[in-house]
Amino acid sequence: MSRLEAKKPSLCKSEPLTTERVRTTLSVLKRIVTSCYGPSGRLKQLHNGFGGYVCTTSQSSALLSHLLVTHPILKILTASIQNHVSSFSDCGLFTAILCCNLIENVQRLGLTPTTVIRLNKHLLSLCISYLKSETCGCRIPVDFSSTQILLCLVRSILTSKPACMLTRKETEHVSALILRAFLLTIPENAEGHIILGKSLIVPLKGQRVIDSTVLPGILIEMSEVQLMRLLPIKKSTALKVALFCTTLSGDTSDTGEGTVVVSYGVSLENAVLDQLLNLGRQLISDHVDLVLCQKVIHPSLKQFLNMHRIIAIDRIGVTLMEPLTKMTGTQPIGSLGSICPNSYGSVKDVCTAKFGSKHFFHLIPNEATICSLLLCNRNDTAWDELKLTCQTALHVLQLTLKEPWALLGGGCTETHLAAYIRHKTHNDPESILKDDECTQTELQLIAEAFCSALESVVGSLEHDGGEILTDMKYGHLWSVQADSPCVANWPDLLSQCGCGLYNSQEELNWSFLRSTRRPFVPQSCLPHEAVGSASNLTLDCLTAKLSGLQVAVETANLILDLSYVIEDKN
Amino acid sequence: MVMACRVVNKRRHMGLQQLSSFAETGRTFLGPLKSSKFIIDEECHESVLISSTVRLLESLDLTSAVGQLLNEAVQAQNNTYRTGISTLLFLVGAWSSAVEECLHLGVPISIIVSVMSEGLNFCSEEVVSLHVPVHNIFDCMDSTKTFSQLETFSVSLCPFLQVPSDTDLIEELHGLKDVASQTLTISNLSGRPLKSYELFKPQTKVEADNNTSRTLKNSLLADTCCRQSILIHSRHFNRTDNTEGVSKPDGFQEHVTATHKTYRCNDLVELAVGLSHGDHSSMKLVEEAVQLQYQNACVQQGNCTKPFMFDISRIFTCCLPGLPETSSCVCPGYITVVSVSNNPVIKELQNQPVRIVLIEGDLTENYRHLGFNKSANIKTVLDSMRLQEDSSEELWANHVLQVLIQFKVNLVLVQGNVSERLIEKCINSKRLVIGSVNGSVMQAFAEAAGAVQVAYITQVNEDCVGDGVCVTFWRSSPLDVVDRNNRIAILLKTEGINLVTAVLTNPVTAQMQIKEDRFWTCAYRLYYALKEEKVFLGGGAVEFLCLSCLHILAEQSLKKENHACSGWLHNTSSWLASSLAIYRPTVLKFLANGWQKYLSTLLYNTANYSSEFEASTYIQHHLQNATDSGSPSSYILNEYSKLNSRIFNSDISNKLEQIPRVYDVVTPKIEAWRRALDLVLLVLQTDSEIITGHGHTQINSQELTGFLFL
Repeated sequence: MSRLEAKKPSLCKSEPLTTERVRTTLSVLKRIVTSCYGPSGRLKQLHNGFGGYVCTTSQSSALLSHLLVTHPILKILTASIQNHVSSFSDCGLFTAILCCNLIENVQRLGLTPTTVIRLNKHLLSLCISYLKSETCGCRIPVDFSSTQILLCLVRSILTSKPACMLTRKETEHVSALILRAFLLTIPENAEGHIILGKSLIVPLKGQRVIDSTVLPGILIEMSEVQLMRLLPIKKSTALKVALFCTTLSGDTSDTGEGTVVVSYGVSLENAVLDQLLNLGRQLISDHVDLVLCQKVIHPSLKQFLNMHRIIAIDRIGVTLMEPLTKMTGTQPIGSLGSICPNSYGSVKDVCTAKFGSKHFFHLIPNEATICSLLLCNRNDTAWDELKLTCQTALHVLQLTLKEPWALLGGGCTETHLAAYIRHKTHNDPESILKDDECTQTELQLIAEAFCSALESVVGSLEHDGGEILTDMKYGHLWSVQADSPCVANWPDLLSQCGCGLYNSQEELNWSFLRSTRRPFVPQSCLPHEAVGSASNLTLDCLTAKLSGLQVAVETANLILDLSYVIEDKN
Repeated sequence: MVMACRVVNKRRHMGLQQLSSFAETGRTFLGPLKSSKFIIDEECHESVLISSTVRLLESLDLTSAVGQLLNEAVQAQNNTYRTGISTLLFLVGAWSSAVEECLHLGVPISIIVSVMSEGLNFCSEEVVSLHVPVHNIFDCMDSTKTFSQLETFSVSLCPFLQVPSDTDLIEELHGLKDVASQTLTISNLSGRPLKSYELFKPQTKVEADNNTSRTLKNSLLADTCCRQSILIHSRHFNRTDNTEGVSKPDGFQEHVTATHKTYRCNDLVELAVGLSHGDHSSMKLVEEAVQLQYQNACVQQGNCTKPFMFDISRIFTCCLPGLPETSSCVCPGYITVVSVSNNPVIKELQNQPVRIVLIEGDLTENYRHLGFNKSANIKTVLDSMRLQEDSSEELWANHVLQVLIQFKVNLVLVQGNVSERLIEKCINSKRLVIGSVNGSVMQAFAEAAGAVQVAYITQVNEDCVGDGVCVTFWRSSPLDVVDRNNRIAILLKTEGINLVTAVLTNPVTAQMQIKEDRFWTCAYRLYYALKEEKVFLGGGAVEFLCLSCLHILAEQSLKKENHACSGWLHNTSSWLASSLAIYRPTVLKFLANGWQKYLSTLLYNTANYSSEFEASTYIQHHLQNATDSGSPSSYILNEYSKLNSRIFNSDISNKLEQIPRVYDVVTPKIEAWRRALDLVLLVLQTDSEIITGHGHTQINSQELTGFLFL
């Protein structure tokens, strides 16, 4: 008997942003992301409340993938940030905070959404064209012939994730490893089109971070017993490799539904095993040295291959298949039929290695761009965070290779950009408005909201009750203890700006970031010698920040533009 | 799906409080004298006896987020090093309260994190001066030195843990030593080193009379190889002056200990006693296991060309509850228990070399290798003409037996389960099948007997079969060791097998687990000491050095108005970097307080002090001396050399040439500190707990107030 139930009517809410519930949930979300921001950001413990795995993190990717939000507006917000993070890895929190700030600031103004959106777009394009222009005062060229800037970039990412629990020495060590791993993925003789290789992160939890290392080639984890049973290969030439993506375990292939009837005395298992041994004979006659299988190899086949001095390794797992194909130049073999000769590939050499308590089989490539980053950290939580951070850093280096510029970090780019926009909107509003219908007052209002949104992003770098200043020459960020005694003492109290490029001994004027100040032209065009001498800069990825800026403004625009939420209640 | 979020960091830090209360439970496990605990389950009225931190945490409810993190840290330490867990737990507690106090004083979190983290780094670098190199320990192996010469003192001789001891007694012991060496010489000539404990049992403290020598002598397998190597390495046949030593002083040590005696340890027994931390009976077994492994390696390699490495994976334990403690011993080979019904088989096989097959998986009809998916929808039909006479298992078992007969195999070791029917059949045809054999045991037999492990019996061919295995009862009169489940201990051995079994016995079944845990703790301690080729001067010396170094550092940073330390902060541009100097002395002092608490609890636990306060005053006194002296490490080394070990008590000095020192492992210890601090700092930096999924429905309504929902 079926039961019919009357459909519930859809629920339609107008002006969703104005409701109290949305405001509170948005502010909760904002509080979560702002408190995570920066090197002294606070961590979050994510768990399911039943004693499951506890994730301690301050990274947007880990945070947002665990957050389960209910309201559509929050869903839009988290989805677009996750989208940004999945393609750029970095600047997720920046995007989230900026977006929340923009929504909050603009709402207070009471302007019509259309005006707000149009002006926001203008300001966004102003920012982007400035950051991309030659005159931009907050970006520096990345010199790939020296490691200095690249190391700064990696170090800035590592230090901005306190849950990795790295000491200074460990930070230096891991930064160097990440850079090495990245460099190993660049092909040596590249002409025209460069295809980057891959760095595989191999987990080694429980060991000291300082024991982490980078090796060219691929590491396959094995048990000690398996490893001991491997025969030593003595061959001077490259080794011939066959890579199977099908199972060689000898089970009969899936027969689908229904029953297969076999008469007594016939063994399907033996039939399959015979087929496997035939395959083995072909491998022997083709002079293969190394058989790798994603899944399981039947023990009898293994024994047969070993007898003929072929190394057989099974249970490699799906994640290693692609890098293995790339590195050895094999075509993964997917059937038990005869093997096409050009499916075989080669490796230069193989050896065994032991790290911590784990044993590995190490495939050394001829010249391929695959490397393994053996990553250690003391416990699971910190390891997971470190792994994510390393992936981010590797990704950022790749992005930087495409666009060899880096932005000054530590909040200096944001304050500098805000100063630039203030100056532009004050002194040259016509060029922004062009033939728009918006008035100059509206532009001033929105620009102020936009700039203060940017500035409160950097305000959230401070978690211990300090104050943030900006100088009136470069528009960089400076931090000072709260209730500091006297303005005159500032050059002594301050040491250097957020990115580490300038120090306080210059004749500078400072003012509180919160206070209003007259617009000034932040100095553009960085002096080259200044960049060259600073060895410890805090830097951000240009590509990721540009995208973050764009995503934040566009998402804010989208959310501000919402006038109805229609929910299907069925 | 809703998500709840709770701020954990308002005014009081809940996470840190939880950590200190968890840590409080393990306080009594610190130090060599551990008091056991009963854990009682109120619901099912079951109880377990535990005496280690790992077992304690296994029995605690650690489902809260912080509890999980603590458990994770402890497990990580345990899985990697198997030692240092009590230290870790204690320091977690001590440092969480220290950090809480910093918070009360208004120190910014980031500064606590940087200063504590760098402070510990500083300590880890400083304690290098207390390294004792362990070199060439097997070059000048002195196989005649026994534990008992040393063991009576060691608990009492840690620098901070002394018990007022009887001077006469020590003199008496000294006198006895000569007699003993004579006995030892004689016994050496007669074969195995006979460790005559009877001569050396002056103190009731010697826990048990581990009469291994008799067992070994009785063993049928007292082989000639051992005899040879003992003669070679015996002090009496190859006399080198032990006190002169062979190792060269390390560079870093020289500058510190220029005026002191350079400490080094190149004697295995001394090292083992030093690392036993009061558990001599276990450590003695471990030490004997290492000796056996070493002797075996020498015989195998002829002249010991490769440096010998202690391979802990080739040590195996066999627990026999119900037997007296004195039956514990180590033997070369594999000792395991089998059903008494195998008695006739073993008697039959006893006096002949046996051929062996090793099976990786189960030995049952239905077993298939891992990763094999059996199709469910295949049906076998019988031809109408043929009648099935036997069940398929019967047929299979017959087939297996035939293979065994064909290759003349009398012994099968199986990693997994074995079919009952097959066992029965094998017993009838005088073949022994043993199931549930450990993987490294299999590997050892594969190497020594020349067998190859296979998954299926059908894979067996002549190349896979090993030879020359000796099967015998563990003890000559087998009825001695029949346990409650009607099982009997047997010994499997083959020429040159690199496998040592430690038989652990205890009359109280409830203590068996404790005994095994302790054995492994000792084994891993010795393993790391040998692997790293260095140990710390122990007995609290390292912690004391940390304590005094931090105090000196704190004093220095108070006096100096230095900005030099601003590099301690990751983020050098923040205002925190410039105000670091203000807070640094405070935070360092609180970090040092953790050590202070550690040391005083250690002292208190060894029962020499009536209160922790008294212990603390004692530490304070020495701390003052050490900081006044300017160089705490020299102070410690100096105090060490004043009485070789009995630091702060000089009434019986210069009586003994060789008093054993207490040692500690290096990396596991430092890692335990680091892990403890990392955990505390991780929790400190956490400001909210986000509960995902439906977990928040568990939060009861009273607590609900603190939560925000998304």
